[in-house]
Amino acid sequence: MTPYTPITAAIIEELITICSASNVLTERDRIEGYSHDETSKEQYSVMPDVVVTPTSTEQVAQIMRLADRHTIPVTPRGAGSGLSGGAIPLFGGIVISLEKMNRIIEIDEANLTVTAEAGIVTNELNEHLKDTGLFFAGYPMSLESCFLGGNIAENAGGGKAIKYGVTSRYVLGMTVVTPQGQIVHLGGKVTKDVSSYDLKQLYIGSEGTLGIICEATIKLIGIPKVASTLLVPFQSAQQAIAVVPLLMKQGIIPVSIEFMDRLSFEISCSYLNETLPLSGVGAMLLLEVDGSDAAQVEADLVAVGELCEEMGAMEVYIAEDANNRERIWAVRRAIAEAIKVYSPVQSLEDVVVPITSIPQVLPFLKELSDRYGLQIPCYGHAGDGNLHATIIKDPEWTMEKWLEIEPKILRDLYAFIVGKLGGKISGEHGIGLKRREFVKELTPDAEYELLKTLKRAFDPKNIMNPGKILI
Amino acid sequence: MHIIVPIKQVPQSSAVKMDPVTGTMIRSGSAATLNPLDLYALETALCLSERSAGSVTALTMGPPSAAQILKEALSMGASRAILLTDRLFGGSDTYATSYALSKAIEHIGSFDLIITGERATDGDTAQVGPGIAAWLDVALVTYVSAINTIVDRTMEVERLTEEGYQAVRLTLPALISVVKEIAIPRLPTLRGKKRAMNTPIEEWDARTIGADIGKIGLKGSPTRVVKIESPKVARTAEVHIASDEDSMKGAVDRLIDIIEEVYHG
Repeated sequence: MTPYTPITAAIIEELITICSASNVLTERDRIEGYSHDETSKEQYSVMPDVVVTPTSTEQVAQIMRLADRHTIPVTPRGAGSGLSGGAIPLFGGIVISLEKMNRIIEIDEANLTVTAEAGIVTNELNEHLKDTGLFFAGYPMSLESCFLGGNIAENAGGGKAIKYGVTSRYVLGMTVVTPQGQIVHLGGKVTKDVSSYDLKQLYIGSEGTLGIICEATIKLIGIPKVASTLLVPFQSAQQAIAVVPLLMKQGIIPVSIEFMDRLSFEISCSYLNETLPLSGVGAMLLLEVDGSDAAQVEADLVAVGELCEEMGAMEVYIAEDANNRERIWAVRRAIAEAIKVYSPVQSLEDVVVPITSIPQVLPFLKELSDRYGLQIPCYGHAGDGNLHATIIKDPEWTMEKWLEIEPKILRDLYAFIVGKLGGKISGEHGIGLKRREFVKELTPDAEYELLKTLKRAFDPKNIMNPGKILI
Repeated sequence: MHIIVPIKQVPQSSAVKMDPVTGTMIRSGSAATLNPLDLYALETALCLSERSAGSVTALTMGPPSAAQILKEALSMGASRAILLTDRLFGGSDTYATSYALSKAIEHIGSFDLIITGERATDGDTAQVGPGIAAWLDVALVTYVSAINTIVDRTMEVERLTEEGYQAVRLTLPALISVVKEIAIPRLPTLRGKKRAMNTPIEEWDARTIGADIGKIGLKGSPTRVVKIESPKVARTAEVHIASDEDSMKGAVDRLIDIIEEVYHG
């Protein structure tokens, strides 16, 4: 028994009154797509009762007021590219998809800001901005599909975070609909603000559990004029990873230091039909440097490349033009998708450790892989200490066996990452549905109680994306 | 074996903008890159020269900024790079361009093989390679997908045609244009780049190559662009949302009407 009111025909009617019939979906085949995100569908999928696609913040507020009045669970949804089950309507009810709220409200070149609705595709936002010479530097790897609102709700990271930071660095203001259906405007166009508790930062990464982000004002920076990419094969993963802390001390801040072990690289290359030299390669680093001065970028490229050579790189491939850079990045970006095609049932992990601890993660993963007899390809943002170890279900295994073993592997992994290395279980994908039990296990009681008190203060009826982050 | 690879700087495809009035490509200000199809020519040349301890000369005609793509060719492994640059070359069509390049090749001196990409991704004509062969009066095979054997001065290649493959035997020196199937381009390396940084790019102008001024630039180009049109999309779309029985019937009826209209004209 849930404490929630079932969706009735009368409630559907009210939703239609708020946002018109074409924005209220109830047919099974049309709402099926809203029952899961990019986590394994076989494991995490719950059908909503109704999906609404409002076209304005005011409509979102009216829907929330309706849900509050009747105590109906509401799950906000961006592009559905999340990797922790945050957009899955665990208790059914209403899914509010922001897909039709994709307008740019204002580009303020003088103040270096853009204000847009939450449903705009991050890449499209940057396409629109291109002619201004400015861009939003938050850069999740799913940039071609993910929405701005989702980036903020998950505090997305990505492949450029070493130099440019994660999404939170760029959010100056936002319009949020509270669980009670109030519209609040947090922050603004100012770059500093200590005028009260920083509610805006609290909403960033709140995974839709405290309210619905409908609009945001984003800080923009100038597009770097020059960028060069290096692809560096090493004989062993250990050798590759050992370069990372040294590189970070160089005084050059690369845009990216991405790590790919042989298995991830191989799966992605074969998925893309790409042929890059692999003989004897144990792992690859992908590095990028950028700037506004071509000579400086070239000097950085050479310095970074030479350091890799000193550290035993088998070769240093360089890409200074867009075609070659894209060729290299495509391999890195396609890994998650390629592994998914290779094995749809998997646990894509997102552990993050202090950068000097990265070399310790890989031998432990090898140990786990041997102990449980499963493949664990590993790749990710090495420069941030953020690794996407992906535990793949053996096709021979039954689903029952997988469901029994997966939590054991994760428990071992997290105990090591959090207990031994002082790391965290998620760097950028979030907790959602997928990791909430572990949050409870790994968070000290006093802290967990604070989190629950906070949630209750915002959402006493527990209708706002219930069942996520906390249990 | 000495191989010459003429290459071209093209606008980055994602950055291409068209002038809505003239219908021509706006080249200035957009990011430029090495014609992606030339990478296959370079790769083929580098592989052949590695096998025969030969050398590869990269050659381009363009503004001073085109030196960039020569550096890339050097980073991949070319041993010499020549930039043909002169205001007098401005406005050259494929006839004038192939003439200028052929004069530059004559000035380079002896060669065994010239390899070009299939075409450039901006102009899409695929005329310059064959043009060079004609000016130099050497054998020409286009769309080469494999080089099977080279014995003495005889080369056997496979050529991709619309119907399949054609086996061709030719005598060197010759010019071939290659298709993507022939090789997978290597990525430039840091070692190559450092070598490139120490290899000067030779700049030649019209006088260096002894070009007949009447045959180059706009003056030497017989091509006249009379009119450029973008094809208009003539088709229109109708969207019928059929969410219930009634609207579904209407939509299906309309669909049947459209199919009948198409059938019976």
